[in-house]
This record gives sequence, structure tokens and C-alpha cells, in this order.
Amino acid sequence: MQNTMNSDAIAARRRALAEALRTGEPVVVTPTGQVEMKDEAIENGLSGIQVPDGKLAGEA
Amino acid sequence: MAFYWYQSDPQLYQAEVAAMQRFFPSFQINQLQDGSGRLYWRGKVQPTGAGGLVWDLMLIYKNDHPHASEGEYGGSIQILPISPRLKDVADKMMPLVLETYGTYDNAVKHGFGLGLPHIYRNNFGRNEEYFICTADPRYFKAGQNRSTSAASALSWACKWIMLCEMWLNGEISDDVALEGNY
Repeated sequence: MQNTMNSDAIAARRRALAEALRTGEPVVVTPTGQVEMKDEAIENGLSGIQVPDGKLAGEA
Repeated sequence: MAFYWYQSDPQLYQAEVAAMQRFFPSFQINQLQDGSGRLYWRGKVQPTGAGGLVWDLMLIYKNDHPHASEGEYGGSIQILPISPRLKDVADKMMPLVLETYGTYDNAVKHGFGLGLPHIYRNNFGRNEEYFICTADPRYFKAGQNRSTSAASALSWACKWIMLCEMWLNGEISDDVALEGNY
């Protein structure tokens, strides 16, 4: 039961992050490399580097 | 005569080290043993958090750092995943990409010519390797007063890894993986 709850929470978090990225909301990256929504990171007292604005490049 | 950027601009070198130590303290700096004099950072990140993959990355400075020009995908800091190896992941995805887009040319047209979104290929040592595209050159700062650091390039890379894992898991569409607002 606990595992299901954890999986649900992780899935919900990933959906929220995907939506944040899609809409261009600011995200930060913590020292372990974890991507977090900026507001959530502040609320949780996490420090991190804000990902600079700008599109990703691509070869093909 | 100072030949390398870290010799000719020791302040920039100190700023690079300070930024990495502040934001990604587990990464270590070293010099490639290929005679090129290039510096690199190596360390591990887990962008999607618990349950996600741990990525072992090298961030390699080109000797013209800081620099960005048209056709340079990510400016003068190249990001090479050691594990998982990007070329292996891309090769595994290619049959699915070809199935989706019908032909190789059509896959190229849709931005999936290498099997994954936002990657590029380059020679590294004796092999051709696939690298993570970070910022479009238009967003790479290479001015006298501000330049894109390894720390900011790594933050872009972590965002790319998260998008890539979500795309691989079918959580986001091809269009979002390629054209999302990021």
C-alpha cells in the first residue's frame, strides 16, 4: 500500500514537472541534479541553480 | 605564453570552479589525458529523483571557452554521458523512431534523426559519441562580463535528461520533447 502511494506521488510529481517544463515555469536543479519546480524548492528549503531561460539546441 | 583559456583568464577559471563547488559539489575537475589540454568535470546526477536513472556525466570544456557560434550545439562546454551511453540509448530507440516516422529522412525532418531529441554527434577519442545539446547558441553567453558556466550547462543538461527519460517512458509526446517551452 505504501509503495502504491509512493508510486502515485512520484508519478504525480513527474506530471507536474512535465507540465511546468511545457509551460515554461522556472525550474531549479539541486546539488544531486534533481530537477524541481522553483516554488516547490523554495517551500521545501532546497537550494539549487535556476536553469537559465532559452531553448535547447539540436542537430537533427 | 598562455595557450589555454584557464591560463589566459584565471579569474574565469576561478569563477567556473566556484560555481561548480557551490551548485554541484560532488563533481570533480580534471584534465583529459589526450594531449589536448582540455579540462573536464565528472560526476553523477539523478534528475528525476527517486526511482530515476543515475547519470554519470563528463562536462568537457573546449579550448576556446567561452565561445558559441552557429551550429555549435551547447557552446564551448560539451556534455557527454558516460553511463548510460547516449549512443546506445539512441541506437535502441532508432527502430521505434523509424516505425513512427516511416523513413529516416522523415525522422530527420521531425528532429529525431539520431534517435533522441536534442542530441548531436562528435568524435571523442577514437569513437563517435553522442552528446547532450544544451542551449541553442543564441542563449549561450560568451561575453566579456558574463559567460555560460559549466554549472549552468549542467543545469540545462539535467533538464534535458528529465525530458528524455519522460519521453522514453511515453510520458510526453515527441512534440513536447522537441518543441516545449524550454
